[in-house]
Amino acid sequence: MFGHIFVYRLKVLLRDKSMIFWTMIFPIALATFFNLAFGGFSSQGTFGTIPVAVVLESDNIAFADTLEKMSTGESPMFKPDFVTPSQADALLSDGKVAGTITVADTMALKVNQSGISQSILKIFLDRYAHTTRTVSRIAAIHPESLQNMDLTPVTFTKDAPITTGNLDMTLNYFYALIAMACFYGSFFGLEEVSLIQANLSRRGARLNMAPVHKLKAFIYSSLASYTILIGEMMVLMAYLIFVLGVNFGSQIGLILVTVFIGSLAGLTFGSFIAALVKGDANMKTGLLIGITMIGSFLSGMMFAEMKYLVQTKFPLLTIINPVNLLADAFYALYFFSTYNRYLLNISGLLIFTVIFALSTYWVIRRRKYASL
Amino acid sequence: MIVKVDNLVKRYGNLVALDHLNLQVNAGEIFGLLGPNGSGKTTAINCILSLLKYDKGDIHVFDKPMSPEAYDIKKDIGVVMQDVAVFNELTVHDNIDYFCGLYIPDKKERKKLVDEAIEFVGLSDYRKFYPKKLSGGLLRRLNIACGIAHKPKLIILDEPTVAVDPQSRNKILEGIVALNKQGATVIYTSHYMEEVEQICSRIMILDKGKTIAQGTKDELKNMISLGEKITVEVFDITETQLKEIEALPHITSVIYDGKLVEIRSTKSKNNLEKVLEYIKTEKISFGKIYSELPTLNDVFLEITGKELRD
Repeated sequence: MFGHIFVYRLKVLLRDKSMIFWTMIFPIALATFFNLAFGGFSSQGTFGTIPVAVVLESDNIAFADTLEKMSTGESPMFKPDFVTPSQADALLSDGKVAGTITVADTMALKVNQSGISQSILKIFLDRYAHTTRTVSRIAAIHPESLQNMDLTPVTFTKDAPITTGNLDMTLNYFYALIAMACFYGSFFGLEEVSLIQANLSRRGARLNMAPVHKLKAFIYSSLASYTILIGEMMVLMAYLIFVLGVNFGSQIGLILVTVFIGSLAGLTFGSFIAALVKGDANMKTGLLIGITMIGSFLSGMMFAEMKYLVQTKFPLLTIINPVNLLADAFYALYFFSTYNRYLLNISGLLIFTVIFALSTYWVIRRRKYASL
Repeated sequence: MIVKVDNLVKRYGNLVALDHLNLQVNAGEIFGLLGPNGSGKTTAINCILSLLKYDKGDIHVFDKPMSPEAYDIKKDIGVVMQDVAVFNELTVHDNIDYFCGLYIPDKKERKKLVDEAIEFVGLSDYRKFYPKKLSGGLLRRLNIACGIAHKPKLIILDEPTVAVDPQSRNKILEGIVALNKQGATVIYTSHYMEEVEQICSRIMILDKGKTIAQGTKDELKNMISLGEKITVEVFDITETQLKEIEALPHITSVIYDGKLVEIRSTKSKNNLEKVLEYIKTEKISFGKIYSELPTLNDVFLEITGKELRD
């Protein structure tokens, strides 16, 4: 009986275009949209080498030395091109350099647009001018101090990495999206309960008349749903990783385990709503979409700051929102090197799953109905 | 006894849907449950199938108490509900195979039964069609095939011909008779008296959850005083003539709607002859004239005072 019900449920669900759209195509489309919208975000925080034209009108060994230091090494800040004034102007107007530096008694910077590269050039020259003035003043007043002077910049803060990978803040959106996709699996749960309950569908009535154990049929059928949901989630993950190039870090094994648990939570959530809420299928579908979208919104899917806002202003919401627990589990895996926060989220999610499943069982175990 | 229902009471709040219903269905018969919408037919069926909770009463099927876990009973029951209950994502063949598979685990045996069911309902040309491509009549036939493919001993059909074209309706009714001839006992519910009259060997008439009459169609018709209904198409008739017709022996009522005169009489010989004689004597010009025996609607009308299709 297991094989019979399982195989036919697979057939039915795979041909249900609306179901496949909401549970697979929609999250993929949303991921593509996110990628288009946020694709440049992570690269905006990094700087490339800035091409600059340098016109030497007088010898300035100190500046040449500084510029050389800034233009060598693993990630040089500048790529200087020593040219004549006319060549410099040509390079600038062609947009081949961010600016031109004329080295004379004083430094002159010429740019023809504003931007991060131009700002860096200005800051660099300001800093250089400030330092040389300071050194000149010290040399004039206390020349003996110059020998002991340490020009190494002093920093009062220190970077302490919490992850071994490169931090990408846009991942938050994708985590919330994956959580949303897992919870869209609730549509499967809704469908399975409708199929088993005589008071919810005529097919349910027909199944109740057959010599089949109702709960067993429900479990077999739900397993088919879960199989499809997991398949869809794997397609989504593959799309995110291989097509959109989202880097989930080194914990991919645990991420997949989390997807498995999240999908189960989503499926049981749909069963829970279908079994407990009175109303027709459209109303329940609307309710599932609404709850999932609100849950995703509160976990930062549409607006990343929302996650922080909820955590600081309404911390209870982070605990009672299963979508957030799931999204935060992914977040914890990526941003923290310990598993405390991850395990806390997963435990919360499993508790929700058990509550959803037991409540569903409590309703569907009823063998007769008061009305049909 | 295939089905035995004793003192069944089902309430929906203050509404009594079934009021001490007693029902027996014998092996080999086509038992008709006739009644207007809301009379309790479907409620009775759902109680018999253990889908609905009921307040009081006992239900036995195949001489065993019926319950939701009575799988040994359920395996021999086939049900065709009023609403079509199939999967739009499965073909005609797969739908029948799926539902048949809930009763028959053996694939080889099932294949034979599914093929026979498809043949039986005349859907051989539509095996690979999806339900959305089928007409209403064909869809009903698919619904029936899904309910009877496992060759049950008891088949329950709850208004299977609602919203079906006449051709498909006849096909369905012929099929039910054929199933009965093959050995199945049938419970058939309908509010179409003609259908029930046509195929049922015994009939129970329900109204407001109560049994108002039961028996064979002849037994039911003998319960009422109406013996004959004569209808005459007249072109000109006076009030006096209508009163004189009403005064003829055994005539109980005369109704004239401006075109047709409907004359009702008690059971007696020569009623039509006497009416014809009067018309000839009075030289009343007439068109059509015909006589009808009482229908189940007349039975219902006489007992309840309202039309079956009210």
